[in-house]
Amino acid sequence: MSNEIAFLAEYAAGSPARSALELAAGAAQLASQSGGTTVALAYGPGSADAAGLGAFGAGRAVALGDQATPAITFAAAAVAAVREIEPLALLAPATPNGRDLAAALVGLLGLPAFGPVRAVRIEDGQVRSEQATLQGTVVTVSQPVDDAPRPAVVLVLPSTFTPIEGGAGAATVSAAPASEPGPFGSATVVESHPAEAAVANLEESSVIVAGGRGVGSADGFAPLNELAAALGGAVGASRAAADAGWVPYQLQIGQTGKVVKPALYVGCGISGAIQHRVGMQTAENVLAINKDPDAPIGEFADLFVVGDLFTIVPKLTAEIRRRKGT
Amino acid sequence: MRIVVCIKQVPATTAEKRYTADLRLDRAAAEAVINPLDEYAIEQALRLQEAGAVESVGFLSMGPEQAAEALRRALAMGGDDATLVTDPALAGADEWATARVLAAALDRLAPDVALMGMASDDARGSLVPGAVAALRGLPLLSYGSELRVEGAVARIRRLTATGFDIVEAPLPVVASVTDQVGEPRYASLKGIMAAKRKPMETWSLADLGLAPGDLHGAALTRVVEARKPEAKPPTERVENVSPDEAVARIVDWLAERKLI
Repeated sequence: MSNEIAFLAEYAAGSPARSALELAAGAAQLASQSGGTTVALAYGPGSADAAGLGAFGAGRAVALGDQATPAITFAAAAVAAVREIEPLALLAPATPNGRDLAAALVGLLGLPAFGPVRAVRIEDGQVRSEQATLQGTVVTVSQPVDDAPRPAVVLVLPSTFTPIEGGAGAATVSAAPASEPGPFGSATVVESHPAEAAVANLEESSVIVAGGRGVGSADGFAPLNELAAALGGAVGASRAAADAGWVPYQLQIGQTGKVVKPALYVGCGISGAIQHRVGMQTAENVLAINKDPDAPIGEFADLFVVGDLFTIVPKLTAEIRRRKGT
Repeated sequence: MRIVVCIKQVPATTAEKRYTADLRLDRAAAEAVINPLDEYAIEQALRLQEAGAVESVGFLSMGPEQAAEALRRALAMGGDDATLVTDPALAGADEWATARVLAAALDRLAPDVALMGMASDDARGSLVPGAVAALRGLPLLSYGSELRVEGAVARIRRLTATGFDIVEAPLPVVASVTDQVGEPRYASLKGIMAAKRKPMETWSLADLGLAPGDLHGAALTRVVEARKPEAKPPTERVENVSPDEAVARIVDWLAERKLI
């Protein structure tokens, strides 16, 4: 048994994912509460060189494998590493890949699972996770039962922790104990189709301008793009807009899309159905522009402007540019 | 070729939710529906059956006795048969216990594809498909926006950060699909009548060869506190003003909050 806090560190194309840097900071925070150290379980292309995670809060790293295969194919190596370390908690990113790998660990080792969470802490040597359930209508605090096996697996939402900047130091990297890939290895990517145009990573944007059904068409997103550019942000969408094919699904915010926590969220022509709300309700500032005075978003936005987005948004963009002198 | 779709009965999105004295969701008090994201898995399975790629579609649920209603509703949409796993020892089951029970039931049902929705509406952990695959020692095809079965393999289309992949695995598999597979159908009156005659089996934990002790008393986790989220400050409304006035108010608001 140790007081170590482990976290899943995903790599892609030679670099750690944003989630790896966020979870490194989260693990460091929890380790200071448990009196332990942090250990990264690094996987994916580039993860063999996980020493760089040291600057972001990782004490050491175990390299699970650096092939470009689905995350769950690293499950056997992760199990071997977890058995050896026996950490108190394992933080996993609440992304499709992170959830799959976490799920395999839960199934293979019979572990308590929590999340997705926006807050987690160690209290009296025990993991306590805070989770919004039932579409955010209830907040529950949970912990493992007394004799539960370790680690507690905690799914952590994007932007819950802020990466440590300007850190120094290198994590010591060791290879995972030998393991057989098992049945997960038989799922293989047989075709890969990257997008023709660049797609913004919404989870990394501090400003998001999102469009919904009220935007009306793919062309209707043009003024939203302009506003996002003026604010230095990215464009997102509701499911209605993604389903209509106006924007790619990667830009969908909500229960079945991205969960975001920007400093500013601007919802244009978005009604604010519960399924969308769960994807953006922790945004620090919410501005909504909608011509329907009864739109549900008017009940939880910080500023609700009733009006025509096609009139207001271009004027707003022009005014912001004027003030910024650009 | 046979698919078994795993479904969960959840409180309706609009239902008033309450917690019992021991901090469990009072499922009896809330209007219950099929988890909306599971309806997409049902739809995907029925489309494969209609296309002739699959011979039979079964449904499986773990829950209280009233979860039989959810299974009956699924049978009204289509498919052939249903299995309910219900046992008083399963009250408050967590994700691991749920996965363990579903895996044991699926071992008996032995479908070519065990299909699930991408998440449940109430807890949203999305861990059950992967945990079931791990427990059954089968490959996982997760978050498919489309599922196909051809010959001895299953294939999904899966979104990536910038595009999509096609991921393939040999049958049998555990798979999950998203809400991009197509809008779920409504049950027709004829379907509702037909559902009443479709076979439904009920299994207890003992029928699966499991004892409560195998499940750590249903959960490895416990809720120690349940509360309402903190109320946000009231919304500031801007209406019945000219567009220029509205823009001025927005800019002031952004500046006050140091967002521009």
